[in-house]
Amino acid sequence: MLNIKNLEATIDNKHILKGLNLDINPGEVHAIMGPNGSGKSTLANVLSGKPGYETKGKIKYNGESLVELSTEERAQKGIFLAFQYPLEIPGVNTNIFLKTSLNSVRKAKGEQELDTLTFLKLIKEKASELGIDEKFLSRQLNVGFSGGEKKKNEILQMKLLQPKLSILDETDSGLDIDALRIVADGVNSYKNKENAFLIITHYQRLLDYIKPDFVHVLSNGKIVKTGNAELGVQLEKTGYSNIV
Amino acid sequence: MKQYYDFKIEKIKGLSPEEIHLRKKNLELFYQIGFPNKNDEDWKFSDLNSILSKNFNNIANNNFLPKEKNIKIIEEFEHNYISLFDGKIVSKDFSYEEKNKVLIDNFNYKDEPIFDNKNSLFILNNALSTGGFSLEISKNYKLKKPLIIYNNFSTLLKETIVNYKNLIILNENSELNLINYINNSSRENFMVNTVENIKMKKNSSLNNILINNSKCNGYFYKYIKCDLEKNSSLENYLISSGLKFNKLDIEINLNEEYSKSSVFSALNLMNNEHQEIKTRINHNAPHCHSYQKVKNVLNNESKGIYQGKIFVKNIAQKTDAYQLSRALLLKDTAEFDAKPELEIYADDVKCSHGSTSGSIDLNSVHYLKSRGIPENEAYQMLVNGFLSEILEKLPKGKLKNFLIEKLESQINGH
Repeated sequence: MLNIKNLEATIDNKHILKGLNLDINPGEVHAIMGPNGSGKSTLANVLSGKPGYETKGKIKYNGESLVELSTEERAQKGIFLAFQYPLEIPGVNTNIFLKTSLNSVRKAKGEQELDTLTFLKLIKEKASELGIDEKFLSRQLNVGFSGGEKKKNEILQMKLLQPKLSILDETDSGLDIDALRIVADGVNSYKNKENAFLIITHYQRLLDYIKPDFVHVLSNGKIVKTGNAELGVQLEKTGYSNIV
Repeated sequence: MKQYYDFKIEKIKGLSPEEIHLRKKNLELFYQIGFPNKNDEDWKFSDLNSILSKNFNNIANNNFLPKEKNIKIIEEFEHNYISLFDGKIVSKDFSYEEKNKVLIDNFNYKDEPIFDNKNSLFILNNALSTGGFSLEISKNYKLKKPLIIYNNFSTLLKETIVNYKNLIILNENSELNLINYINNSSRENFMVNTVENIKMKKNSSLNNILINNSKCNGYFYKYIKCDLEKNSSLENYLISSGLKFNKLDIEINLNEEYSKSSVFSALNLMNNEHQEIKTRINHNAPHCHSYQKVKNVLNNESKGIYQGKIFVKNIAQKTDAYQLSRALLLKDTAEFDAKPELEIYADDVKCSHGSTSGSIDLNSVHYLKSRGIPENEAYQMLVNGFLSEILEKLPKGKLKNFLIEKLESQINGH
């Protein structure tokens, strides 16, 4: 599904990714761990098409070159990034945002756009699965939401848009144990043979709930070690210093 | 500069010799001064003389009666209406209201005193004005439905100036939701110069909304003078994107205790549109409240201006006055000028002002795009989010929904 070869990324003359290789197949859950400043969020940003990065190397997504695609085209083709810091957008109603987003994706796929009633029924259902109060949906997007509420909102968007590749950028940061469990349940209930996850995290604790098939250690812009779920557990005990 | 205007009192029919004399005097005075230009402090950001001379070959006052009479009535909410074509009343409908509670007539040029003002557009209006209306709401009467003034401009209006005067009186305890709706069918360049006088008696309440229906090559100037008595309340809303040139010049006199006024505006300016809001809020009595919030989004080579003045007289203690202007510039070629002014002669007052301008937050654009929303729609959502806040204070209902939709269609370029 995703094939990254020798990826380099530079922003503001800072060389951050320095030859990263990664292959993700449908049905797989990959975790990327690594110390601060190793390039984890840069990888997420580059995959989402955030402007400002100069890149070299190849990123193929279902055989297509990703760098040629705009951010919205990537999203329409099934790439989803759950933001580390979801943005607060004053004046934009959450429901209207969600509906516009879903219909943009549906339209791009050639599916019929949902009318307001059908949409509201759907979003109500999805929100209640994640324990999100309906009242949040009529508020301005993320404005005044707590850290946990913002992260839940990201997972809600993921479940609504049904992406093929979901990238979770430190979704566990700022979550209490209950919220962490809800978010993890949300991910687990969406996981299937067709879709894949790339989970970026500092800590093992999210991986206690979402079991990865592969754990990669990112250091200084490169993947320096790859293992199975056991590697995450080991890192939690010994830290990165033995590896990087 | 070439002479690009040619005005004649003779074109106006039915005037008495005294009126002709007075109008000729005003016209002579206008010819001495000409249209306002940037050397005039009140016009330093809107050089009307230069703008008009570039866009008109010859502006004349043509006083023909418009042939069109039919209008497309807004169906989204029930309302009363007055329909003006080129400033003249052609039809009206107050069937939702009780009889004799709403008095409506042609503006009475014989009895109404004209204001003395150095502004040359005012002088020109005194010379050439015809048509317009006077509207009076009876004591204790609260209109059941909003009133729309359909300001229609006919297809005949090429290189023409339309001048008219309106008078609006709200008697004690009366209430009105008024929508000034610019409905234009001329594709040509024309100018409209309106002088309006709003008199608000004790405890009366008025929502005064100015909105336009579609893009328009009209050049608009409107001067509104509002006088407020005790405990009366005036809220002005300006949602007039799409006009080639528009200057709203509003003077609000808070003459008696506990009167309050506000000015809200939400403008999304495209191409080389030019809009100015100039306010002068005179706090002439204690315990009055004024609030101004002006929001502009500027695209391409558009220009937005806000000149807001708050004047507090020495006896106007416990004044609470606030003004804020915020602008989003979407292109480097767009321009926004703000000139806030406070002139305060009382010592126990609360007055504040602020002005910010900046560009759109690209991280927010990225966030929306990352959810599959195309870039132009992402911008529209952010612009709409920024501007629609202006309408928040209006009570929920069909009128508010209508305005929200209109604002959205203005943001999407009509």
